[in-house]
Amino acid sequence: MSGENVSKRHPIFTADAWGFRASEQMPETINRSPSKLFYVYLMAPAIALLAAITIYPFLWLIYMSLHKVKLGPVDDKWVGLKNYAKLLSDAKYFEGWVLLGKYSSMCLTFEIIIGVTLAVILNNSRFEKPLVTLFLMPMMVSPVVAGLLWFYLYNGTFGWYHWLFESLGLLGGASILGRPETALYGIVIVDVWQWTPLITLITLAGLKRVPQDQLEASMVDGSSPIRNFFSVSLPNIFPFLLIAILLRFMDNFRFIDAILALTGGGPADSTKLLPVYLFDVSFKFFKLGRGGAIAFSLLVVTIILGLILVRIFEDPARKQAMSAQD
Amino acid sequence: MVDVKIENVYKYYGSIDGVAAVHDLNMDIKNGEFVAILGPSGCGKSSTMRMISGLEHISAGTISFGGNIVNNLAPKDRDIAMVFENYALYPHKTVFDNVANPLKLAKVSSPEITERVKRATQLLEIDHLLDRRPQELSGGQKQRVAIGRAIVRQPQVFLFDEPIAHLDAKLRARMRSELKRLQVDLGVTSLYVTHDQLEALSMADRVAVMHEGILQQYDTPQAIYEKPANAWVATFVGEPQMSLIECVIRQKGSGVVLDFEGHEIAVGAKVGKVLAASKEREVLAGFRPNHVAINTRKTAGSIPGIIYARQLLGGEILAEAQVNNTMIRARVNTDFSLQLGDKCSVSLSKEDLNVFSADTGVAIY
Ligand SMILES: Nc1ncnc2c1ncn2[C@@H]1O[C@H](COP(=O)(O)OP(=O)(O)O)[C@@H](O)[C@H]1O
Ligand SMILES: [Mg+2]
Repeated sequence: MSGENVSKRHPIFTADAWGFRASEQMPETINRSPSKLFYVYLMAPAIALLAAITIYPFLWLIYMSLHKVKLGPVDDKWVGLKNYAKLLSDAKYFEGWVLLGKYSSMCLTFEIIIGVTLAVILNNSRFEKPLVTLFLMPMMVSPVVAGLLWFYLYNGTFGWYHWLFESLGLLGGASILGRPETALYGIVIVDVWQWTPLITLITLAGLKRVPQDQLEASMVDGSSPIRNFFSVSLPNIFPFLLIAILLRFMDNFRFIDAILALTGGGPADSTKLLPVYLFDVSFKFFKLGRGGAIAFSLLVVTIILGLILVRIFEDPARKQAMSAQD
Repeated sequence: MVDVKIENVYKYYGSIDGVAAVHDLNMDIKNGEFVAILGPSGCGKSSTMRMISGLEHISAGTISFGGNIVNNLAPKDRDIAMVFENYALYPHKTVFDNVANPLKLAKVSSPEITERVKRATQLLEIDHLLDRRPQELSGGQKQRVAIGRAIVRQPQVFLFDEPIAHLDAKLRARMRSELKRLQVDLGVTSLYVTHDQLEALSMADRVAVMHEGILQQYDTPQAIYEKPANAWVATFVGEPQMSLIECVIRQKGSGVVLDFEGHEIAVGAKVGKVLAASKEREVLAGFRPNHVAINTRKTAGSIPGIIYARQLLGGEILAEAQVNNTMIRARVNTDFSLQLGDKCSVSLSKEDLNVFSADTGVAIY
């Protein structure tokens, strides 16, 4: 108990106010800080080019979503919001959202948990360098190739993983991609396999910047290694995790290469996530106007969710950045 | 509150054939004692402290608290509090939460946490900063928060690793007396690491002087200053530095004198007896600057020299006289009239000197 001893106040730390004090007087002229306009001029052409490249397709997307797009030499027909209205009664559209939500939340959860855990285990271990190199390999593989690779591994007749699942008594003989109940997990596993290393890598970079002295102070304060991770490391790697989560979340909403190679949306539409459905509508049925409407709604939701994510993480991230300058 | 025993402790970083950061350290710290480890940067002070705290593995030897060997205990199980050189505050926590952290981890009830944090922060006069975050504090305030985090509970041992090294001189002087007061009031066994001899000598009950991983001397500040164990300690401790003069012990009549490049330095009876009994011939005679006089006029037994440097130290002047290749420093009054290059004569004290073996540096007297 420190109580009894710490009761009286020491007569120290008194302010020393005996020097000259600032007067009310202001300087007559304030020197202007140098203008940054020059740099803006330098960057203007590049910005203009970039805007033209990105904004034009975006506007074209909106245009398509408001028309019945004809592929022939005929003019597109203005339909107003009809493409959007039709989506409201499209069950597959909503199912696509639900599947996309399930898929990306499962992917994110597993990738974050496994990725961060791996990073913590690897950090400063003897095997950090060789293992990181090894872990990087899945990331280097093109998603389509990854999809094909796993397609064979899952294959019901000669797939090695299929054999493994079967030996463990899982799945009851059917291929994981062959059954509507399990196909979604099949594609989640591939995404987790391919992208967990990215999370590990980003987290490792973050862990390197966790101040050693804070970890040590925390240990002396009496915390266990696990507690130490949550109370010191985690707040310090927050901004890194934000970047990782943002990247993965946006990729999950956009990239369907692996899914197309693995299931193409089947069986029984059980992996027809919204972007897969969008692909079908636009490039199988060539309903480009309808596809435009789906794409635009997907874009809007992606942006809103992204902003929410940034908002959630922003505060601790900014504090961290401030303390890093310290 | 316990006593701490350090027995035959070694610290190797990396290979055991390398140089030991700490070499065969033996120290005991009594219950409630304030001990400082003093030494230049890189001498193994922090390594020693980190082995006591459990942050660093003990390569060989044992450290025990109150008779219990703590070698294999994690820091959290050693019941210690440590103040780090760079404060090591948690940037994402408020001052209150920083100070409360050890109590929270010890699962103290929340009303008691509030009460204890309030008391500790009042004592350190940071109770108006409780809602701030570390980056909104000045260096001195951060330091006090770090100290608050240590004193908020009553640990077995306090460990301070250069806690005030980064403060400005004035605040440092104030913190010296304050830390000392706190330690006496709390009565907790404390180890204080510093490279600043003023801190060590002014605050500690005993000072351990380290050099290149080896404990040179472990004694009271006064003994370290007056009776340094070897020539290295003699020149490291004391500001301005002690002057060392290479002499030969020479028989003269019934007693002995020191022969310094042909000049005869007479010594007092007590010193003379010790020197006569010693087997050493070639010695280093050490004189503190306040035991040396530099004058214009020659006096009996004085040595002729040339003024090499003079520095104003505020209320006095440090004058440095060159005699052949030896520098001899003296504190003189501010009305000291000799300028650089002037001829002078140096008189040395007969009684207030230290004598070391020129061969080993070990103290003879
Ligand atoms: N983590 C480490 N790895 C390797 N060498 C170290 C490490 N920490 C300290 N040393 C070495 O050990 C010696 C003593 O260091 P230290 O105890 O920090 O000295 P001090 O605190 O007295 O300045 C130095 O030579 C330093 O380079
Ligand atoms: Mg140090």
